[in-house]
Amino acid sequence: MKKLMVLLLLSCITLPAWADSIGYTVRNTEIKAKPFSDAATLATLPEKASVTIVQRMGGWVRISSSTGNGWVKMLNLRSSSARTGDSGLQSLFNVGRTGSSGITVATGVRGLSSEDVQNASPNPVEFAKLKNYAVNQNQASQFAQSGKLKSYAVEFVAAQ
Amino acid sequence: MAHYKILIIAASLTLSGCAGMDAQQLMQLGSNMAGKVVAANKPVSEAEEIQIGHGIASNLLGAAPLSTNQRAQSYVNNVGRWVSLHTERPNLPWQFGVLESADLNAFATPGGTIFITKGLLQHLKTESELAGVLAHEMVHVLSKHHLAALQKAANLNIAGDFAGQALNTQNNPLLDKALQAGKEVYARGLDKDDEFEADRKGIVIATRSGYDPFGLPAVLQMLDSANAQDSSLALMFKTHPAPAARLSLLDKIMANNFDGYASPTQTDARFNAAVATLK
Repeated sequence: MKKLMVLLLLSCITLPAWADSIGYTVRNTEIKAKPFSDAATLATLPEKASVTIVQRMGGWVRISSSTGNGWVKMLNLRSSSARTGDSGLQSLFNVGRTGSSGITVATGVRGLSSEDVQNASPNPVEFAKLKNYAVNQNQASQFAQSGKLKSYAVEFVAAQ
Repeated sequence: MAHYKILIIAASLTLSGCAGMDAQQLMQLGSNMAGKVVAANKPVSEAEEIQIGHGIASNLLGAAPLSTNQRAQSYVNNVGRWVSLHTERPNLPWQFGVLESADLNAFATPGGTIFITKGLLQHLKTESELAGVLAHEMVHVLSKHHLAALQKAANLNIAGDFAGQALNTQNNPLLDKALQAGKEVYARGLDKDDEFEADRKGIVIATRSGYDPFGLPAVLQMLDSANAQDSSLALMFKTHPAPAARLSLLDKIMANNFDGYASPTQTDARFNAAVATLK
């Protein structure tokens, strides 16, 4: 019950990370009642089934589909070939390229192209600012504490 | 000893062809070459690595300046420095910068300078996603991917050519050569395998730091759902393998190994507050 409450609360406050984003399954995928492997299986999606992604929680995403609604493993889904037309990034953030305007930019947003990188000159003024923003290990540890972050011992996973 | 033998043979073979060179000059040549051979086996010092990285960072800041939002800069530095403590090189002078650019991208330079564009930061949803991106970049530093790539690009024997020379920032042709190669490398990107390694190890470093292991995969899903033709993704897509390929790799290695780690929720408010102040 407590878990359910937490879930309900989370679903209210979590940002619509992938609101109405479309994905498709890369293998047969169980739809679970809750975002846990041992939760009840509601239905099974076949490979290449289209789903609407509603929300992410850890390695799970909540989906709706013609087969059923519930939670599926995030890495069972891809989006790329389900994509149709514009992602909306451009219109949403109104990416205004200022072309090869060089080093200093007075106004607005701009991109960062390979030409920009290749033609760049050093910017020691900005580099000095960068150094000033750096924090030390103690500050970072306090920051972690205030976010209730814990360290874990985890080994690297071998390449496959 | 083997090097010596080769030098002696080489010297004997070239003797007839070196009419203008006397024995003493040949000896001198041999000793210079022997010096190079020894130096080439010496790893690049950390000081050199940092200096090259700072030069590249200054160049990248020439392409896009820092965001003037101090809150966001400080926030990203705190997250990044915390994550850096969970790497094998916690004592590098790690520093982090938000670039004033609408593009979606992130960069690492040798010695521990990491950049994320404002555009990418604004597309992230949680501190765990940010930690995942920064951890990916840190692996490039830890594994010295760029150092190796720019050495290859410039045909530069960094250890050999730099050995014994003070790396002055001004009027240093070797540093200039390294930085020029750096521009090429950052415009062209690293090898695919370097990027896959950064994903594979990045998720572990983020998890060690207490973050949701699925932060980086979630960012890759976001990129996978974006339009590859979008101009704000041009450089990132040019310099990285397709997000779907990167997700497939993480799919294989993560399996059920990362299910036991809870997502931190106490970090959501500060993430939203810091990112919301970005205009």
